[in-house]
Amino acid sequence: MWRFGLRRAGRFALGLLGAILMAAVVAAQAAPPGKGGVSHFIGTVLSRLGEFVRFDFGSSAITAASAAQEVAQRLPATLELVAAGALVAALIGIPLGIVLSIGRASRAAAPLIQIVAAAPVFCAALALLWLSVQVLHWDAQLQGAPDLWSALASGHGAAIRDAFRLLALPALTVGAAGAAGVQLALRRAANESRDAPYRRGLRMMGLTPFEVDRLYLVPQVLAGVLANLGEIALSLFSAAAVAEWVFGWPGAAVLFLKSVALHDWSVVALVLFAFAAITLFAEFVGSLGARALAGIEANP
Amino acid sequence: MSVVSAHEAPAPAITLGGVIRAVGFIGLGAIGVTVGLSEVLARAPADTIDFGPPLIAPSIHFPLGTDVLGRDMLSETLHALAVTVTNAGLAAIVVVVAGGLAGFIAARLPYRIGFVLRGIAGILGAIPALLLAILFIGLASRGLAPLAAGLAVAPLGFTRAFDRARALGQSRHAEFARATGISPGALLRRDLTYEFRDSFLSIAARALAAVTIVLSTVSFLGYGATPPHRDLGLMIAAARDVYFDAWWTAAVPAAALALFILCARLAAGLDEGERA
Amino acid sequence: MSGHLLTVTELTVTRPGAKRPELDRLSLAVDAGETLVILGEAGCGKEALMRVLAGAAERDEIVDGTLQFGDASPERAVKFPKPAIRMSYLPGPFEQPLNRHVSALSQLTRIVARKLDAPRASAQEELGLALGRLSGAPKLIDLDKPPAELSPEMQAWGLFAAAYAQNPELLLADHALAGLAPGHARALTRALLAEQARLGFAILYAAMNAETPVWLKGRLIVMRHGKVVEEGPAERLATSQAHSYTQTLFKAQPAPLSDKPQPRASTRGQPVIQAYRIEMAKPSPRRARDDLTFELRRGASLALIGDEGSGRHTLARILLGLDRAPSGRVVFDAVDIGVLANNMMARLRRRVAFVAGADDMLDPRMTIWDTVAEPLRTHLDLPRHVVASYRDVALKRVGLASLPGNRVVASLSAFDKRRLQVARAIVSAPVLAVIDEPLRGLDAFAQAVMRDLLKNFRTQEGPAFLVITSDITVALALAEDAMIMKDSRVIERGPLADILRAPKTVYTASLIEASAPVKNSTLSPAAPGS
Repeated sequence: MWRFGLRRAGRFALGLLGAILMAAVVAAQAAPPGKGGVSHFIGTVLSRLGEFVRFDFGSSAITAASAAQEVAQRLPATLELVAAGALVAALIGIPLGIVLSIGRASRAAAPLIQIVAAAPVFCAALALLWLSVQVLHWDAQLQGAPDLWSALASGHGAAIRDAFRLLALPALTVGAAGAAGVQLALRRAANESRDAPYRRGLRMMGLTPFEVDRLYLVPQVLAGVLANLGEIALSLFSAAAVAEWVFGWPGAAVLFLKSVALHDWSVVALVLFAFAAITLFAEFVGSLGARALAGIEANP
Repeated sequence: MSVVSAHEAPAPAITLGGVIRAVGFIGLGAIGVTVGLSEVLARAPADTIDFGPPLIAPSIHFPLGTDVLGRDMLSETLHALAVTVTNAGLAAIVVVVAGGLAGFIAARLPYRIGFVLRGIAGILGAIPALLLAILFIGLASRGLAPLAAGLAVAPLGFTRAFDRARALGQSRHAEFARATGISPGALLRRDLTYEFRDSFLSIAARALAAVTIVLSTVSFLGYGATPPHRDLGLMIAAARDVYFDAWWTAAVPAAALALFILCARLAAGLDEGERA
Repeated sequence: MSGHLLTVTELTVTRPGAKRPELDRLSLAVDAGETLVILGEAGCGKEALMRVLAGAAERDEIVDGTLQFGDASPERAVKFPKPAIRMSYLPGPFEQPLNRHVSALSQLTRIVARKLDAPRASAQEELGLALGRLSGAPKLIDLDKPPAELSPEMQAWGLFAAAYAQNPELLLADHALAGLAPGHARALTRALLAEQARLGFAILYAAMNAETPVWLKGRLIVMRHGKVVEEGPAERLATSQAHSYTQTLFKAQPAPLSDKPQPRASTRGQPVIQAYRIEMAKPSPRRARDDLTFELRRGASLALIGDEGSGRHTLARILLGLDRAPSGRVVFDAVDIGVLANNMMARLRRRVAFVAGADDMLDPRMTIWDTVAEPLRTHLDLPRHVVASYRDVALKRVGLASLPGNRVVASLSAFDKRRLQVARAIVSAPVLAVIDEPLRGLDAFAQAVMRDLLKNFRTQEGPAFLVITSDITVALALAEDAMIMKDSRVIERGPLADILRAPKTVYTASLIEASAPVKNSTLSPAAPGS
């Protein structure tokens, strides 16, 4: 396990280095064009890399503030949204995945899931918004990121309700996308494990079916989900970008969209690096978890 | 290894998956025909303002209603579907070539080169395809949205194909083939033939579904198609301010988009594949 | 009261839509301490019986009949019977009965704990004691690895020990020895008989080769298509069979070991492999230099005999240029392979064919036709119709001509895949054929057919044969010369007949004894711990 962990840590570190390099390439776009073509560009990338090493991530071309500061301001909101979405994804995706992996439901599951998942995230977000306005009569103009903790601390019912309203739709949007990823990983893992010969072998040798599944199948399936943690993180971030846009959530993803439009490459580079680093970290943790749970080696 | 007798031989059978794939391809075919005939079926050229009164609900005269500028929703949806399908088709080709095919070949290159390429794809794959597509569009131009979407989705296909090719290359049957003088080139040809013959349509359909989601989302966010060549994503974005009262302005293009993605996913054989 | 330990009456197992029942009104009884072997091909009904008795019938199977365990009253057979006697199930390691990613020791301990209703610590102690009683078994700690990292033989020792640790009254052994190297299979059989003598349990053994019942002695039931075709003492049936099916089963067994020299191939051609002073392992202070010089000519056949890990495959890989020896020189078809670039070596290996006893040697995506025609298409520039005719002739020779040529390898049975390898070897017109455990995992019929096919291949195409096996009977059928290998060394070499007549080492003698087929078998239980 130690050797495996070290190997994975090495891969994670290499991934981070690559992400830094990619961020430097993107940040190099911010430099004024100069003569020298490729060699000038490489020089700019290297100088950006040098600045990154000194934790100098440049400044925003729009606000002139430090890019790191800009991103640091917006990233927590995105992470809050992704965390809330991940919670929803786990609450919906895991039971859904389990139900759809068992018995006859598993046969109908795949086409059913395809139909439900065919709508892109932005369509689902708009549909949720429409339902909240038409059915629940929520105010469509009420947008932004709630300060849930302050609302809870204040103890005011109306403030708490508004905070939850603000959180509910974006979190549901992100959570639905994440749930699709979670249940897919779960069903894939369950499919791979369902016909494993050990299930019958151990049962015939004397363990109860419940024991076999609890001790060996469930860890294997959960390990399968963990092995796909990076992929799940990707779908959460992707959905977060859409949810932030649709629901006016002031997060880093929407900052990225605006920065690309305004060619503010220093900020774009840093947001990209942050997202890549989080996904790579999720992959790293997921692979360790999968190995620890069931000895499964993800993407060997 | 399992202990088996001389007389054991499972017979191939028609599966539920096969039927569903056929349904998906029939659906894609029908959409393709509709797109081909869109100029004939549409009652108005693309982006024809004031074709009728604004925001008319679906009726006999306007089967899918009109939008806020009085454009015929049926005609607009057909034109937008054509743009979406065409762009998605181009992007899917990029995914298959720069993703699946390149990944497969990269796995058979000398180890270090393959490792570096796999690493680059892995890093690009750690960024959501949507954001990557927007980045590429920002670096290039909106006119290259299909290429950008294709390149954004390709890393996941690349890594998947790379890992598959690596596993195939290290399999016992590949070692057996090498030990009997089958050259690496012949082995690559064999693998490409069988992988793509057996799963080309699945790979292409899966890529089509993934890039359609990315492209339409990119357009929805304002980075993709531009009027008058509106795609379904842009149509939905345009309906954002009015769809609370005129649901059809968003629901119709959304339904067309969902139907296209569903058909592509069914054709891909119930494997959700690359997420976007 | 029946007086039997187990009484099965009119047991029928059917699957909806199947042409015939898997088990057709089977009645049998097993007495305490008795050994009953059920012999037949896969699908003859023995698997269904094992499933029902072990409480693991398939969901869609319909089970009918009555079961009576010991003195309990007979009960209608159900899918999950609750036996009133202590019963343990003993599967073979090739069926992968354990989770491959979790420690085998922990899984076996859990099984013993569950069956004895004891804490895991004492269950592990029982397992350790059982393992300690078995001569040749590994240590308990050696099993504390996932099965994926253990050899099938190691797993088998663990499975056997776990079965004994449960102190059963009836042992359900389901192909428990199938596919194992003869040395280990023989040692496990000895241990089984010793434990039976000590604990007094009855054995119900499902077997697919006639060898096992004779090793185990006891009573034999021969089954076919879910019905009993013949029954009697194993020793009698081994020598005189009334039913033609039983006769065929026993005839399919390898011939008794003979020390008469095999007739050498009449034509011996040019040397195919010449090995000069090659070493398989780097010399070290603790290891003396041990080099090997020999040659293998066209038409000749050399068997590399030894257990898994004895260095047979290492030597074969060196001879084929797949790996380099630490020192020495290998000349293949008059070319020194040490100086060849990889692509030239690949060209040279076009004249090599393989037939191996593994199911994953052929690309599962390829069709039957493509598999056979690939060497011709890749190595030679032949017109399509010529390729097709060579391919068809080869398929006809191995008996696969009747199968649709566009059928993929993945859908073939293990026996068909094995024959397909022979067909591919035939069209390659090789100068060297590497035959690696070609009969492993096949039933008696399939083994007999494969033996004949390989002999025929050798006679007609005349390549040099390099046979890799742990089974002397396989070596005897396919080779005249042999090298006995142990710990990456050749400990004995020469004509196989000479080795059989007068083995020079204890290890060679044990290999010969382990492979001694039916007729010569005089197996008796070893003393516990011996």
